Amino acid sequence: MDREPALERKTAISYKTEEKTVMRGYSLSDLAEEGYSFCDALFVLFQGRIPTENEEKMLDYEMGVFMEHSMSPSAVGAIGVITGRPNLPCAVAAAITTFGGVHGPGAAHGYMMNKYLERARVEGKTVDEMAKTLVDEYMDAGRPVMGMGQPQHIDSDPRAEPIHLKQEELGLQGVYLEFQRAVEKYFHARREAEGRSYVGVNVVGSGNTALMEIGFSPNAGWCIGSVTRGFSCAAHALFNMKKGRAWGASRNEPMVQMIDLSMIKYVGPEDRMVPKQEERQEYATKQKESGEYKQWVI
Amino acid sequence: MGDLNAEKRARGVGNLDDARNPYDYFEREYGTVPPDDKRAPFRWVSEVAYKNVHRIVARGYDTTELMEEGYGVVDTLFVDFQARIPLVEETRMLNYLMILALEDGLSMPAAISRLVARSKTFLTQACGASILAFGHAYGAYSSFGNRMEKYLKKVDQDGIPMEEAAALLVKENLQDESLGVSELMTKDPAAQRVLARAEKLGVAGKHIEFMQHVVAAAQAQSTSPIDLDMLGAIGATMLDLGFSPEATWAIMAVTRAYAAGAHYIEEVEREETTRLGQELTPPEMYDGPAECPVPPLQDRPPASEAAVCRTPDEWKERFEKMKQLPGSGFTLIEEIEDPSKKSGIKKVGKL
Repeated sequence: MDREPALERKTAISYKTEEKTVMRGYSLSDLAEEGYSFCDALFVLFQGRIPTENEEKMLDYEMGVFMEHSMSPSAVGAIGVITGRPNLPCAVAAAITTFGGVHGPGAAHGYMMNKYLERARVEGKTVDEMAKTLVDEYMDAGRPVMGMGQPQHIDSDPRAEPIHLKQEELGLQGVYLEFQRAVEKYFHARREAEGRSYVGVNVVGSGNTALMEIGFSPNAGWCIGSVTRGFSCAAHALFNMKKGRAWGASRNEPMVQMIDLSMIKYVGPEDRMVPKQEERQEYATKQKESGEYKQWVI
Repeated sequence: MGDLNAEKRARGVGNLDDARNPYDYFEREYGTVPPDDKRAPFRWVSEVAYKNVHRIVARGYDTTELMEEGYGVVDTLFVDFQARIPLVEETRMLNYLMILALEDGLSMPAAISRLVARSKTFLTQACGASILAFGHAYGAYSSFGNRMEKYLKKVDQDGIPMEEAAALLVKENLQDESLGVSELMTKDPAAQRVLARAEKLGVAGKHIEFMQHVVAAAQAQSTSPIDLDMLGAIGATMLDLGFSPEATWAIMAVTRAYAAGAHYIEEVEREETTRLGQELTPPEMYDGPAECPVPPLQDRPPASEAAVCRTPDEWKERFEKMKQLPGSGFTLIEEIEDPSKKSGIKKVGKL
């Protein structure tokens, strides 16, 4: 049996022999035997260290509260994929890949915080002053402030503030929480001054703040968040695989299905004739010259 | 739209007016289907979770309350997949298994993640892609678990002794990649430690007991040294923890995706990106048809040389010939089943 690695690489993450698997210097089996948790192991993976007890608790809280979010793009992605009945991992993979610039943008939030904290240091400003600068720069430019607002939990994300509170309860408040709290303060103040509605902090704003505070990089934090959601999306996909209708369009169900024909609303060009090949060049030339098609280009 | 159809009927559109079509094509209506008010409107039906503006609820438990009461992410896996709060020992066991499943060196999920990373992608693309490595050979928890359930049913329903069912399972599946017994862990005690830990925590049940019979039967039937491997250890323990084969498959694949994220990061940090067309494949790696001039378009093969076979014998002859062309797919037989009720076993064989 060929036991060569799938890819030749120098790596600082782990090695594996016939006798053991070692991650960041620790035998995985020994980590488990000593009673460390999976969350402890994630600190070892991404930071090469055993965390403090409260750091482990904070990560567990953040992951636990983030794991399940019912119908969000990730769950919908998983359910959509599983209707074709591929292998289950395909649905889970799809769910995780829904995380981008809007859905759970943990890395983006992290990079934003790091950028402005560095500016505070270089420009000699306090964290509070720099938070105001961030809010003003983003709002002046008409850009959404990362970490604020959630399209479904419109009166405040049920997970967000409790994460802040847990971070404080565990004595883990540092520069990131101070900065995030200040961002929220100036964000709320400016919206109020502009007569706009209240928009609360979201789970990225609070959860990613906690992850950064306990030492994770923006991408490591993003990995933790988005992959954790994969667990619950697997459950949603599995429910649909075992108890739902494949394809999602059956007319024999008492409820209209997800992609029933009646769910389609078309707002594109009107029905039209397909030109014969002998008409093609003239037709295509006119169509291109008229430019009417440009309104449909995406 | 009637006019458009009439105009098309007059013009004709290819074969669409052929009488063998089971309809009059030019009578077929245009336009979308109106909303169906005879049935209930579409809703996202779920037994798993719901949310509203104020809260997120999984299997009846508010997830924020779960965390405030001291439960964690591993507990929530039991909630989501089994609709129950686990025993402390069960949570400990699952933590143990997930640590073991977290990382496995430069394995396929890590390699896939790294390859995706080289294209300058989002991290989430790489993590998602790594999960696709979990099939019916690598990380084959679905195949493993469903097979175990199938043979255990013979014990439960037919009254066959466990040892006998295990021997039958091994006899019929000794060479299968998802047996859970192999030469992979003969020098690494980690798999055996899993079962010992399960016993110690009091969570070992019939699946672990059955797995031990499977190991014994496999060792008796094998001509080379083999032992319980990580698939068998984690798979059997997950079943004893109450997770279905499919849930196990997903949980373990997602668990590995965290490490795939670390591999993505390291790849970006330490390696270069790869551009379209950058990689060369030297001729020494090629063993396909010899290089030859491309014939002029007018010298395209005549109709008589089409792949169409007129008789089963012709078909068979061509089939056998095509098997000589690797990558054409003619040597493979796959049974792709609807996994809705019983998921996971994809039979792949070679002719």
